[in-house]
Amino acid sequence: MAHISTDQLLQLETTCGSFLYELQIIWDEVGETDTERDKMLLELEQECLEVYRRKVDQANRYRAQLRQTIADSEAELAAICSAMGEPPVHTKQPIQRVGNLKEELNSIAPQLEEMRKRKGERLKQFLEVMEQIRNISVEVMPTEYIPSRHVDESDLSIRKLEELYRQLESLQKEKNDRLKQIMDHLSTLNELCSVLGVAFKETVREIHPTLDDAEASKSISNVTIERLATAIGRLREIKIERMQKLQDLASTMLELWNLMDTPIEEQQLFQNVTCNIAASEEEITESNTLSVDFLSYVEEEVLRLEQLKVSKMKELVLKKKTELEELRRQGHLVVEEAENEPEIAISAIESGAIDASLVLNQIEGQIAEVKEEAFSRKDILERVEKWLTACEEEAWLEEYNRDENRYNAGRGAHLTLKRAEKARALTNKIPGMVDTLVAKITQWEKERGIGFTYDGVRLLTMLGEYTIVRQEKEQERKRQRDQKKLQGQLIAEQEALYGSKPSPSKPQSAKKVPRTSTGGSNRRLSFGGAATLQTPKPDYMHSAKSTRTAKKLDDLALTGSRGLDIAGLPVKKLSYNDAITKHQEVGMPRKPFASIVPVNTIPSAPSMPVIASTLEENQAPNKMLLLTPKNPATAAAVPMRVASTPAPTCLVNDGKLSVVASVEETEYSFEERRLAFYVGGR
Amino acid sequence: MSTATTTPTGGRELSQPPSDGISNLRFSNHSDLLLVSSWDKTLRLYDVGENVLKAEFLHAGPVLDCCFHDDSSGFSASADHTVRRYAFGSGKEDFLGRHDAPVRCVEYSYAAGQVITGSWDKTLKCWDPRGANSSDRALVGTYLQPERVYSLSLVGYRLVVATAGRHVNVYDLRNMSQPEQRRESSLKYQTRSVRCYPNGTGFALSSIEGRVAMEFFDLSEAAQAKKYAFKCHRKSEAGRDIVYPVNAMAFHPIYGTFATGGCDGYVNVWDGNNKKRLYQYSKYPTSIAALSFSRDGLLLAVASSYTYEEGEILHEPDAIFVRNINEVEVKPKPKALPVPPP
Repeated sequence: MAHISTDQLLQLETTCGSFLYELQIIWDEVGETDTERDKMLLELEQECLEVYRRKVDQANRYRAQLRQTIADSEAELAAICSAMGEPPVHTKQPIQRVGNLKEELNSIAPQLEEMRKRKGERLKQFLEVMEQIRNISVEVMPTEYIPSRHVDESDLSIRKLEELYRQLESLQKEKNDRLKQIMDHLSTLNELCSVLGVAFKETVREIHPTLDDAEASKSISNVTIERLATAIGRLREIKIERMQKLQDLASTMLELWNLMDTPIEEQQLFQNVTCNIAASEEEITESNTLSVDFLSYVEEEVLRLEQLKVSKMKELVLKKKTELEELRRQGHLVVEEAENEPEIAISAIESGAIDASLVLNQIEGQIAEVKEEAFSRKDILERVEKWLTACEEEAWLEEYNRDENRYNAGRGAHLTLKRAEKARALTNKIPGMVDTLVAKITQWEKERGIGFTYDGVRLLTMLGEYTIVRQEKEQERKRQRDQKKLQGQLIAEQEALYGSKPSPSKPQSAKKVPRTSTGGSNRRLSFGGAATLQTPKPDYMHSAKSTRTAKKLDDLALTGSRGLDIAGLPVKKLSYNDAITKHQEVGMPRKPFASIVPVNTIPSAPSMPVIASTLEENQAPNKMLLLTPKNPATAAAVPMRVASTPAPTCLVNDGKLSVVASVEETEYSFEERRLAFYVGGR
Repeated sequence: MSTATTTPTGGRELSQPPSDGISNLRFSNHSDLLLVSSWDKTLRLYDVGENVLKAEFLHAGPVLDCCFHDDSSGFSASADHTVRRYAFGSGKEDFLGRHDAPVRCVEYSYAAGQVITGSWDKTLKCWDPRGANSSDRALVGTYLQPERVYSLSLVGYRLVVATAGRHVNVYDLRNMSQPEQRRESSLKYQTRSVRCYPNGTGFALSSIEGRVAMEFFDLSEAAQAKKYAFKCHRKSEAGRDIVYPVNAMAFHPIYGTFATGGCDGYVNVWDGNNKKRLYQYSKYPTSIAALSFSRDGLLLAVASSYTYEEGEILHEPDAIFVRNINEVEVKPKPKALPVPPP
């Protein structure tokens, strides 16, 4: 009120007064009573008071409002500050009133505004952090406690914010750790999958789809990690299992290689298998080393090797069998076993019924037995060989003695003579040989308790038969001799009767035929072509032969003085034509690899026909012996023409072997002759 | 190694062959170098892989035999009675020694470290190659033989000498004072060549009469029972056999099978254990004078060169062929099982 200026008051008063004056005039005019005038004046005052009162209330209210606002602001500011944990920007002096209310308000408002802004910012930060925390929490532990979005507005302090940041950090670290763990697991899994040949993508996708996807962020929940770990564990088990299996296969393979001396090149194919034979689980890291395919590949190879082993065992068994047969043959042992025994053994091995090594052992045992038996028989067998040779010579000798021309001179005659001499000596030894042989055989049989067989025939029987035949021959000869003596006597008598005395060596039919009386040249006549004597000649040729064999001892004296014609003699003589081989002699011991009866076993080569005619002659004497030699085995498709006789002499001189014709004393090699030609002036 | 296909003539022909007969050829034990001795008085060294003549050494007379010392040097045996050593790289020649007649064979023994030569002067001489060029320091010993030496072969410490008159002497190199065995060839005709089995159990003899004998060192009955002879390099014509000398034999270093070459121009490969012929190569232009397998058995060098079996006549030019060996030609084939009736 004091502020209202005097002017205005004066004005007011003027205005009010003028109004009153006017009012009085009006009343005077109207004639209003005093009470009426007083009432109106009171009304007027009251109305005026009302207006004043209203204005004052309004102002009061306004002042209160201001105060309220200030107080509110102050309160809010305090709240914010306490929430944010910081003092306000401008230090607050709550009690002090700086200036009037409006001023105060003006000073507080910006502070408040400021703090509000700050709070807003802080709140935003909080919200951000919490959002992030929430996100990560969802990722890391989806089923566990997820913090709400709600921010506690009562605590917006830096400290709390920092706390939240730390929480966020730890969560992020956790997340990274898990990611790393998962990546590790994934890489291990990848390794395992590659080694085992399992598809990595499918396996991983099974565990969690996001793991396979390169773009999406991977699930890092505990569940995922557990499942990864389980998968890894499972695969590792499989790996160990397969590795053991592979190592077993590898060691089997090594054994088999060792057994069968497999070449290095083959072994190297499986180098990658055998190099891991002693490896531990961690060391096997190459891809596909343990995949199913690879394992079955190795298995196949082992199977193949085992089959090879079986077939080799079979081969070995057969080889041993052949050896056994050979030994038996050499020892002239015949065993009555089934013909198809080898086939039975083979099919048994193939079917796996019998272990090949057992069969092998069995055969080895048999071989040892046969060897032992052969050894014990060796002595007797050697004697038998000698005896057989002697018999052969005996047969040859008989043949020779039958030959009319043996006293004729010819090339190599002396050699035949020598042979005949030797043959005779040998033949004389035969009875002694036979006796010793019989004695030895009997002793052997007594010791062993079984009969001595030679190629299936009882040797004693053979010898017995031979002796009988010999005796028969002896007797026959004796008979012949006696008869001849008788003849001689008769002739002598006749001579005495008729005068001339023909030679006692001339046999029988002479008695029927008239003789000349020339006497002295009888021999020549009887050998010569006296017509009377010729025709009967063939008839007594046969008996002449037998007579001659009886007189072989006498003939020794005769043959010495005559040459021999060797034209009609059997094969062995042919080799004498070979000028080069002057080293050879008649009585040459049998060559080691020529069989006993050379002729019969020559394979039918076209080269033989030249000497074929002479071969037949040889066959007759062999009938005496009870032997049937076997043909040498020539099983192969292109067998060698193994020579079982001395070289045939039917060499064609097509110039290829000019050596044969040109050599007289010294032999020369092609190189010597070539050099001579060069030196002589080529 | 070039993978040349075998031509119908039987292998790659080496370029620059000798101009006269080839007496022997040998592969080295270390590489595919081939040493060739010839009647044209040269000793030649070829690199088979490159097909190039690497060295040539002229002698005073025909060279009758050659052998490697190692890949860098070799020995020659010449008709001028001398034994020489040649270093291939430098071309240096060392004089080892002299015989009284042409030297027919030369061998180098790795086991004894000595050179062994056989000559028509009826002696065998052993030389120490380190004593070359000094008069008589190289000669280790002289061993009289019954006749002129025609062929030699070594395996391990064993030496087999084949001479004229069909004599065969077996020596132990550690004791040369006298032969371990004095034998006679089981073939009836002149010996052409002798070769020891790579497994050292025996040797093969070949004669001029188309026959080869397989013999064994072990004199026991069991071993001797295994020996045998077979006919080969023969032709049947009008009911008769035409027989050719078997000049050369070579054993496959791995399989132990062996090849023979004869004056009929054929090379046959044999399996001695199973007594089979494994293969016959197509006919070469003229007589086979020499054969040699490479150290790994993958190559066979064949000298197709007239060997004077019919004296002086017109003949095909001398050539050297090198064949690539297929396993089927040389791998032994054991006897097949008789198939039982089903």
